[in-house]
Amino acid sequence: MSRSQPAAGQAGALPAPRRRASLRPWRRAIVGGAIVAAIMLVAIFAPLLAPYDPNEQDLLNQLLPPVWAGGNWDHPLGTDNLGRDTLSRLIYGSRVAMIVAVAAASGALVLGTALAIVAGYFGGIVDWIVSRLVELWLCFPPVVLSLILIVGFGVGLRNVILAIILVDWTRFCRVVRAEVLVVRRNDYIDAARLAGFSHWRTIRREVLPAVAPLILTILSLEMGIAVIVEAILSFVGMSVESTIPAWGVMIADARKDMYQAVWGLVLPILAIIVTVLGFNLLGDGLRRALDPKLRQRVIQ
Amino acid sequence: MSGGVLGVALRRIGVSLPLVFLVSVLVFVVLRLIPADPVAMSVPPNATRAEIEALRAEMGLTLPIHEQFWIWFAKAAGADFGKSIAFAQPVSRLIGQALPATIELVVVAAVFATIIGLAGGLLMYRVAGGRGEAASDLASTLIMSIPEFLWAIFFILLFGVALNILPFTGRLDAGITVGRITGFLLVDTLIQGRFGAFLNALSHLLLPSMSLALGTAPLLMRVLRSSLMEVGNEDYMMMARLRGFSERRVLVHHAFKNAFLPTLNLMGVQFSFLFGGTLLVEVIYSYPGLGSLMVQAVANTDLPVIQGVALVYAVAVLLINLGVDLAALMLNPKLRIAK
Repeated sequence: MSRSQPAAGQAGALPAPRRRASLRPWRRAIVGGAIVAAIMLVAIFAPLLAPYDPNEQDLLNQLLPPVWAGGNWDHPLGTDNLGRDTLSRLIYGSRVAMIVAVAAASGALVLGTALAIVAGYFGGIVDWIVSRLVELWLCFPPVVLSLILIVGFGVGLRNVILAIILVDWTRFCRVVRAEVLVVRRNDYIDAARLAGFSHWRTIRREVLPAVAPLILTILSLEMGIAVIVEAILSFVGMSVESTIPAWGVMIADARKDMYQAVWGLVLPILAIIVTVLGFNLLGDGLRRALDPKLRQRVIQ
Repeated sequence: MSGGVLGVALRRIGVSLPLVFLVSVLVFVVLRLIPADPVAMSVPPNATRAEIEALRAEMGLTLPIHEQFWIWFAKAAGADFGKSIAFAQPVSRLIGQALPATIELVVVAAVFATIIGLAGGLLMYRVAGGRGEAASDLASTLIMSIPEFLWAIFFILLFGVALNILPFTGRLDAGITVGRITGFLLVDTLIQGRFGAFLNALSHLLLPSMSLALGTAPLLMRVLRSSLMEVGNEDYMMMARLRGFSERRVLVHHAFKNAFLPTLNLMGVQFSFLFGGTLLVEVIYSYPGLGSLMVQAVANTDLPVIQGVALVYAVAVLLINLGVDLAALMLNPKLRIAK
């Protein structure tokens, strides 16, 4: 992010057309970041924003439609099959999505990047082991592996986060390792070593900053993936405890009543899509703005 | 020439076998972490402690974990995954019934994904630099943000419920039965000359395979477009244009041929993701494949089934990657010389 400031600062002194051109690469990241920030705020202030307790049942008002489809303002987005307020459940559901997005993606970042840097920087046997480990992990479709892990660990928010970390660290590891291999060949790495830097200091001061833009981009994309994986797991009932509202659970519940109440199904789907779109725009925007050459490598 | 391809194929299979072994170790160990007791779930609630202990010994659960693993692995190598706890049937039979359905779905979806991905990539390249670029960029980002299981639900709502023009449960309409020869409905119906049933099976495949294809295609589009852009600056493209070839001919005969390889490499990864995507799509469409079996097994904590299906998934992914690598090898002579 810090690179935006000099770009914007320089632009102030330039003629108007150039100024627009220099901000242009950031437009996508700004839009994505705004979406993500908005959903973050909703998640943080959920108790203040939600009109009802998300688990409060009102059996006299089941499957109410949203206000634009003939419902009333008591429940602006309608209710589900137990008469629970859809708006409140959507608002509280953003908490699970955001907690998983931040915690699981950061965990995968730390694990994947640490292994990638160790492997790429030191090479040799360490690199061989890490590469084989990644190959082993890639034998599984990610959904299948996360499902197996959840069966092993049991359900619950913490286990879901752990499962996603243990599945998705390879996304960071593969890409960052390849980048570290490139960075390592630069003369300034040798220069740092010759100047007496320890390995740890060289990694911290020279290698890490060089791969940071790449990591930031994958982090954002990974947050979107984590939201989807959590939704998948909660859709099949293998995510958070049943008392915690989650978007995937809402979809699974509403599917049974899709003939009578289609909005109960559409709204949580839209919530997921908008969230993932926000993360993808942010990641994609960061990629374009930080380094156009990265395009190829980050995509996967 | 084919000798080189064969050699690489054999070498790749040699690398894959230890991976399959490690995969089975991984699955076995993870599932032993399980908090629930598989014995407690397979006995009636009034079973005595002695009966439970007897069953535990019979199931081999009293043995040390590495011995349990070797017994299971030796049998699994001969496609014997034990007996399902919930279905009281051999796991291999359950997998045998479900696997052709999933393969059929994956193949049809992969065909759709390839068509959409390649056509979309060419289209995105054509509009690049023009007014359409921003729109096509945004559209591909939006489509990429929609995972296959949301497409699946969306298609059910649109084509199944609202328009009511396509079926969205199972592999065939309720009244139709097809004799089982290969297990692939599209093949079996044609062998038996039943075109009505063929069309019925195809119509049942349409929505689930399109959901999977749309979850896979956008990335193919993007990679194809960016490799087309890279190729676009090459001298031979300029030469072809100078020789007066039409833009379409230059695109298809010169640019596409060279830009296709990175896309093909990506397809290996993407199609193994697609294979994983079947899991939820099958559940949503009540499609009796491997994914439905897996989710049922997970709901019942049916360990023998989970282990067997997980292993089949891993082997399938390895085979897909092998196939894509060999295809790349056959299409790109440079790879053959380099190794």
